[in-house]
Amino acid sequence: MQKNNGQELAEIKKTLKNLLIKDLSLEDITPDDIRDDDALFGEGLGLDSLDAVEIVVILQRNFGLEVKDLENRKDVFYSIDTLAKYVLENKKNGS
Amino acid sequence: MNILGMGVISACGRGVDYFEKALNEGWKKPSEIEVPHLKNRKSPVYQVDLKDVSEKNLFKKMRRSDKLSKMAVVAASEAFRNSGLENMDKRTVGIIVATAFGAHVTTFNLLDDILDHGEAEVSPTVFSNSVHNAVASYISSALGIRGPSLTVTQFYFSFHYALQLSRLWLDEERCDYVLVGVAEQYGEVLRYIYDTKLTMAGDGIIRPFNFKPTYQIPGEGAAFFLVSKRNSDNVLCKFENILIGGGAEGPGPVDLDIIDTDGILADESVYERSLSKDVPVAAYSPVFGSVMTGSAFNCAAGMLMLKNQIRYGNPVKDNPHGLNILNDTRNGPVELIRCIRYNCYGSNAVIYLRKKSLAND
Repeated sequence: MQKNNGQELAEIKKTLKNLLIKDLSLEDITPDDIRDDDALFGEGLGLDSLDAVEIVVILQRNFGLEVKDLENRKDVFYSIDTLAKYVLENKKNGS
Repeated sequence: MNILGMGVISACGRGVDYFEKALNEGWKKPSEIEVPHLKNRKSPVYQVDLKDVSEKNLFKKMRRSDKLSKMAVVAASEAFRNSGLENMDKRTVGIIVATAFGAHVTTFNLLDDILDHGEAEVSPTVFSNSVHNAVASYISSALGIRGPSLTVTQFYFSFHYALQLSRLWLDEERCDYVLVGVAEQYGEVLRYIYDTKLTMAGDGIIRPFNFKPTYQIPGEGAAFFLVSKRNSDNVLCKFENILIGGGAEGPGPVDLDIIDTDGILADESVYERSLSKDVPVAAYSPVFGSVMTGSAFNCAAGMLMLKNQIRYGNPVKDNPHGLNILNDTRNGPVELIRCIRYNCYGSNAVIYLRKKSLAND
């Protein structure tokens, strides 16, 4: 049975949260601690510019997405919500 | 060169107190890990468990670091704290890290990443942790130290060269204090080398006085010392002299010899020739494992003996050559200790540790 967009988006969010925790070594944080609309950088999860580069690597390795022009893609990297939508849209475009 | 503070993390646990306890209690069975390429699939190792470390605030500052850097920062932080000089001007403190293998675990992870994902998809964090001065950088960053920092990488005597360099920095007044120490991490590649080139102690016991054949059990950890020419009430003892390559006279009769035998050399008979029947000998590698920079851990044991005026009995007492080994732990005066290390070419490096003396230096 084919998944609908809502189900796929939820799965991508879950995957992204797990990947962020593992690959960014976010100790003492569980996926449930990260709200979908929390800001990833600054006041929110407290990530920084080096983490942004790590997220680019995460997207490349796990979703086959190449993010260029990182400086102008801040909207994509704002939260798990925006990141997951970007992954969903671009995976579909690519397929 | 006075020693104002020391910090140790090893398989014995995090902190000098745990190290001291281990010296008092003697040999303990190492942990065992699964190794797929071995016949019985189990292999002993003296491994550090960072879950024991309660300093979460310190670790928050180094979220991205690898285990090598974490161990080093924990030990360096303790050395700094124990000196009672945490509030000093951090611009006057230098850092020298000695290591034989450095961040080899992270370096091999990086190479694996390149092979698996290609150069474009390598983690920048893994890359930055694989560079040699990463450990010193993390110490500097976590402890706010702003003096010079350097990493000395040398196979057998890196700690000895680091100590000599510390003395030079202090003599040149490049800094007033130096945080000097060692860090080594156990990893699969090291395991492979140990298994194929050396003989593993299958029963989990390093026998430091066997000399030939020798048996090793890999260890890991970090030991750091805050040294200075300055005196203070917190002085533990002092590095009297560091001699590399032989030829020079020592500073006089010693009360105890500590030897670095741990099975990393296939033939350690050369140590026997450097010992005297009149001087008791000890070796503490069975407590922390076979480590290329094990001299620092043996020195830490020596420092505790000088500070507490106690002689720790050998953790493993097998003595096939009838040496004058320390059998039991007992109190008694200790003034000067000689720590001896040999490399595979028969050259040695010797560290003399002397009891604290406020009148001198």
